[in-house]
Amino acid sequence: MSNTKHHSIFRKSLIRTLIFALLIIFAQANLDSYNQSQLALVLIYFIGVLSVTLLTGISGQLSLGQGALMAVGGYTAGLVITHYQLSMWLAVPVAMLGAALAGLLLGAAAARLSGPYLAGTTLVVALAIPTLANRFFSVFKGDEGLPIDVGYPPEWLSNLLGEITYEEWELYSVLPFALIALFFASNILLSRTGRVWKSIRDNQSAASLSGINYSRQKVFAFVVASAFAGIAGALYGMRGIVAPSIYPVSLSLTLLTAAVLGGIRSIAGAFIGTVIVVFLPDWINLLLGNFELSTQISDYLPALLSGILLIVTVVINPAGVMGTKLHKGK
Amino acid sequence: MNTFLSALFSGFANGAVYSLVALGLVIVWRGAGIVNFAQMGQAMFSTYIASTMIISGYSYWFGFIVAILAGAVLGAFLDILVMRPLSHKKRGELLNSETMRAAVPVIASLGILGVLQSMAGIIWVAEERGFPAPFKQEGFTVGGTVMPFTSFDVFVVSVVFIALATTTIFFKKTGMGLAMRATALNQEVAKLSGIRTNHARTLSWAISGAASSLAGLLITPSSNLSPNTLDLALIVGFTAAVVGGLNSPIGAVLGGFIVGLLISFVTFYLSPEDVFISILALLIFVLIVKPRGILSGKDSRRV
Repeated sequence: MSNTKHHSIFRKSLIRTLIFALLIIFAQANLDSYNQSQLALVLIYFIGVLSVTLLTGISGQLSLGQGALMAVGGYTAGLVITHYQLSMWLAVPVAMLGAALAGLLLGAAAARLSGPYLAGTTLVVALAIPTLANRFFSVFKGDEGLPIDVGYPPEWLSNLLGEITYEEWELYSVLPFALIALFFASNILLSRTGRVWKSIRDNQSAASLSGINYSRQKVFAFVVASAFAGIAGALYGMRGIVAPSIYPVSLSLTLLTAAVLGGIRSIAGAFIGTVIVVFLPDWINLLLGNFELSTQISDYLPALLSGILLIVTVVINPAGVMGTKLHKGK
Repeated sequence: MNTFLSALFSGFANGAVYSLVALGLVIVWRGAGIVNFAQMGQAMFSTYIASTMIISGYSYWFGFIVAILAGAVLGAFLDILVMRPLSHKKRGELLNSETMRAAVPVIASLGILGVLQSMAGIIWVAEERGFPAPFKQEGFTVGGTVMPFTSFDVFVVSVVFIALATTTIFFKKTGMGLAMRATALNQEVAKLSGIRTNHARTLSWAISGAASSLAGLLITPSSNLSPNTLDLALIVGFTAAVVGGLNSPIGAVLGGFIVGLLISFVTFYLSPEDVFISILALLIFVLIVKPRGILSGKDSRRV
């Protein structure tokens, strides 16, 4: 608990974040505008996948409903932007708070549940929350949704970097949030909180015996993970519209797939998994573009492949791409 | 009064099908300790097989029986191919913690669901197709008024009761049923007493596959058939199973009727948009007040 230790955690997370930032900036310079937009999507998903990593991988609570918390974040942002004309730099933190509040309610119920009960309940949540948009039509505007976007780049940035395309701005506006999320996730993982959550995941009774109030910590993990999901959801909505169809049940499952494929216990794994999930359709097109596939096949191929990858991962190496290193330590 | 009767009857008929879905979930939970989120994906797959049979000229009943058999075979196949290797992993290999050992099969079943849905999409054009009912879907006429209960509903309810009776008798009266109950109770002890626990597990997957295929055949006539048609049935069936207690087949059936009635009363008296929120409310209420379900035995959550 010494001061130097805190410093070293802080420094380590900061270095990771800076390396990540350089990596992204370097990568985007070599990409065309389509792939820049895809990279922005990767960063948004990455924040959502970090929420699954923290909740499921670190604190051991399997949630199939993170998409619903993204919806809460998206709608919060949508409402404050359309009604109070907040800028996105304010709307996203407000969305984060909104989702964290929803996470507190959900987490209080979830802390009592385990395993498949929690999974099933969160799945019902993922289905039920977006239907509220039609239920309270006057507020949420039903299927039409609330149109919001990232707006235009500020002048000083254009002066600094020259002409900025829309895709570049999509990426630049998302990047700070992804960096903040990465920094906090890294801090949590390295700090006492991360160890407490892991101890609950590994053995709840033992954690309880060493003086950890595990129900409170489980709720806390839920709130933190929901805050991440809220940021991701707000940014996701800002790609055009906040509507029930933007946050379907499959969104929650995509986040889980990405987290598991990359390695559900590691931040690097979360990023690798996200890249796989987002770019899989493009890679398939690249590989099979020469074959004249019917749309019927090409529409379903990415889902088929990610399903197969998911099964193969859990059967062969449940720790995911980044998991092999973890195992040797044990 | 008429609204009330309509809600009651349609809730009863839908509840019967949800009971079947819940029963499928309970059988795998008891037999293998897994909540199978791919279950209705399997049902969708075998319903497509039946639909293909019927379209190519075979009779409804031939397709019906082939679909149920296909459901059983697919269930057994999935257990052998995916779930058995998972359950045989050494402790350390499966992420080394209690919670992850429970989570990994759930994740695997979601992967299976994705694969089945996309395969169905690839094989049977993604266009929705109807699915025939073997009986008329028009209400009986009693004394001049059309009752909200059709001959198809009668068929559904009786099929569900036959299925329930058969599984109950199977579990209580046959040697294999006893072996399966022993496996569910304690796999190690069952193994030591000479029970082939692998067979028992696979059989529970097969029976559950057959039961859910039957549910699929009974649901699809009232909606259309598409790779995602049965997703809602899974979620409703899960709620039903939790309401009744994941450990109790009779509870599952009771839960199915409770949820079926809830859905139809909410639809008739409030609005269809409130259905999912009321399901969520019921689920959370039951999990908080009586987490083991209204009919479940003790220790069901000690996973």
